[in-house]
Amino acid sequence: MKIQYLAVVFIIIMLPISLVYSEYVKAQVETLQLQISYDTKLDNATSDAIKAFQLNTINSSTSDLSNSKIRDIEAAANSFFTSVATLFNMSGYNSDVLKEYVPALVFTLYDGFYIYSPFENTLDEETINGIKPGSTYTGAPGEEVTGLKPYIYYSCRYIKGSTDVVITYSLDNYITIQGTSNGHTISDAGYLLDNVSYNETTGSVRYRGIEITTETQLSEYISGTKYNYVKINGVKYYLDSDGSWFTILNGRKNSGQGPFRDEDNDMAYRYYKEAYEFKQRLQSYGITNLTSADAVNQNGEHLSALTDEDGNVIYDFVNGNYKIFNFDGIEEPDSDFNQHRLSVIRYVIESNLSVALANYNNYGTGSYEFRMPKLAEEDWDRILNNVSLISFLQGLSIGGKIYNGYSVINNNKNEEVVTEDSIYIVPDINNDNDSYHRVTDKDLTVNSNSRGVFNIDFERKSIATDSSETTYYYYPHRQLGCYNCYVAQTNVVTVSNIYQYLDSHSDIAKVYYTALGRERYSMYKSFRNPEEHLNQFK
Amino acid sequence: MGDSLITIVAIVLAAILMFVFPLMTMSDRSDDISQLTVETATTEFVDNVRTTGKLSLADYSAYEQRISATGNSYDIELEAQILDENPGKKTTQANSTKIGENVYYSMYTSQILDTISSDTTSTLAFKEGDIFSASAKNKSTTLSQQFKNFFYSVTGNDIYTIAAEHAGYVTANGSGN
Repeated sequence: MKIQYLAVVFIIIMLPISLVYSEYVKAQVETLQLQISYDTKLDNATSDAIKAFQLNTINSSTSDLSNSKIRDIEAAANSFFTSVATLFNMSGYNSDVLKEYVPALVFTLYDGFYIYSPFENTLDEETINGIKPGSTYTGAPGEEVTGLKPYIYYSCRYIKGSTDVVITYSLDNYITIQGTSNGHTISDAGYLLDNVSYNETTGSVRYRGIEITTETQLSEYISGTKYNYVKINGVKYYLDSDGSWFTILNGRKNSGQGPFRDEDNDMAYRYYKEAYEFKQRLQSYGITNLTSADAVNQNGEHLSALTDEDGNVIYDFVNGNYKIFNFDGIEEPDSDFNQHRLSVIRYVIESNLSVALANYNNYGTGSYEFRMPKLAEEDWDRILNNVSLISFLQGLSIGGKIYNGYSVINNNKNEEVVTEDSIYIVPDINNDNDSYHRVTDKDLTVNSNSRGVFNIDFERKSIATDSSETTYYYYPHRQLGCYNCYVAQTNVVTVSNIYQYLDSHSDIAKVYYTALGRERYSMYKSFRNPEEHLNQFK
Repeated sequence: MGDSLITIVAIVLAAILMFVFPLMTMSDRSDDISQLTVETATTEFVDNVRTTGKLSLADYSAYEQRISATGNSYDIELEAQILDENPGKKTTQANSTKIGENVYYSMYTSQILDTISSDTTSTLAFKEGDIFSASAKNKSTTLSQQFKNFFYSVTGNDIYTIAAEHAGYVTANGSGN
């Protein structure tokens, strides 16, 4: 055969192979690009939902109450679906079609979480009329409804000898204990802190060697006027110039509150003192010897170990046998308590979520079997340390395979939790032209006029006047963000344990711990009796 | 004489068809694969910074290594647009019925690398609302480009066949406390 023929035969063989290979690679490239673009779209929709949640909660003084919170979360879920629809419209989907592909949205909050997913309406006619006589509710029994499922607490049950208690954890070191121990009933809650000392004769409280005292009254701007205020159980009560007290409700002044004692703010002092007393009470209950091996699930069985994506054990409840109430540095990130707390929260989310996702198969119309994706370790880290939204999108065909993605977005501006990160320091609180700094700013110096401020008090708020419908915008604190440590964080110390960092900066520590204690103590707590708590300040 | 000329031409043509053509196709596909790798790596790198709010030298080196594994060298450009809410605040404080504008100012590759390279533990932290972007373009000539240049010369300064970029809002505060 002539060489020309050979070449032609070769081309006849090579050309189709090359074409098929080229098409295959092209399809793979498109699949991956589509996957990346879906990941980004999901991230964007999730952060839109978080933004909606922030906007609603920052401007609402009732956002920590559960019915108001449910409303805010439902609004956030709606904006998620609207955003998803907008982002995916280009690909020919609309919001209703896409709802089929979102098996669950998880809103993790301070001491528990909500799952937003479809469920079967089990209300029958009789129950509906029983709850609301003459109700116009039209939902049919057995109908598939998408909504929030009941709130699930980060709780764990412990059984050891005569002790049988349920501990509810939160995103910080606040716990609620309910149950029995040695024949006594326990129902208590408080912050767990190490290194607090209380002198009963002088009444002085020290935390990590720093004396915590009362601070001068807090004040902030509403529109153009500065008011003194006290924040009790999540609500700010302002002192008007005529001596009356008011709150802000739905963006308007709500007069006729209080009166409250017009004196120095002792919230931080109370926070540390009550933490000290809580520790004493825990010891008297005789439950400080509980270990992670005593934790049981609803069937009374030990909890199974937590594993990462590759199947490596991260936390072994039984064999680890960690002492939960080991008070040695209990509030520090790597303490036994914190490791256990994070593991319990993760266990509760993981087990409930996998059930919710598996149940979604009963509602989905497609042939795709929904299952929970393995969340990456760094994503868990973010979920466990802040209020966040986890969204799932599964079952969309992206060429060669089926899309199965999730997105985790944190909510850093919320009234739910005061993290170690939420406190900024203003060197001179009386000077409106000063700036606010991160605690880890290398050049931060403090003096007796310095004060720590909760981060959302630097956010814009709005108020409507009674006489006109004009909306006025204002910043409760007028100081501007420091350019070296807040706007761009180029002059900050990178620290992994803020407590250890502050041990060598005692002047900053005093301002910081006072603010952290004050803001945590002023938060809304569902365990408190609101009336009794309010009366302590009247 | 005529026959041998035709044979030589045929041999040259056959050599081109049998060796150069498959080689060109393969090198083109190899560029496609590189493009895919670089695109995926860039997106993951940027999304990681966006969702953690932190950029460390380790992250950057891992990204650099991952794209260099395609056998080419790349020009990487980073840009961080830092959100500055202070001017907006000033506007609202001057006139309380107005919401001021936010402004962004940018940090570019060299400034970003200076910050994260100062020591091994240093990271550049971003805050919610900042915008981070990265782009990578090949600066070495790929095999496929060399073949193309051999047959039809492509000239110009910015000749690259592999390029990827990704950008987005930072959604987490990465101050690391």
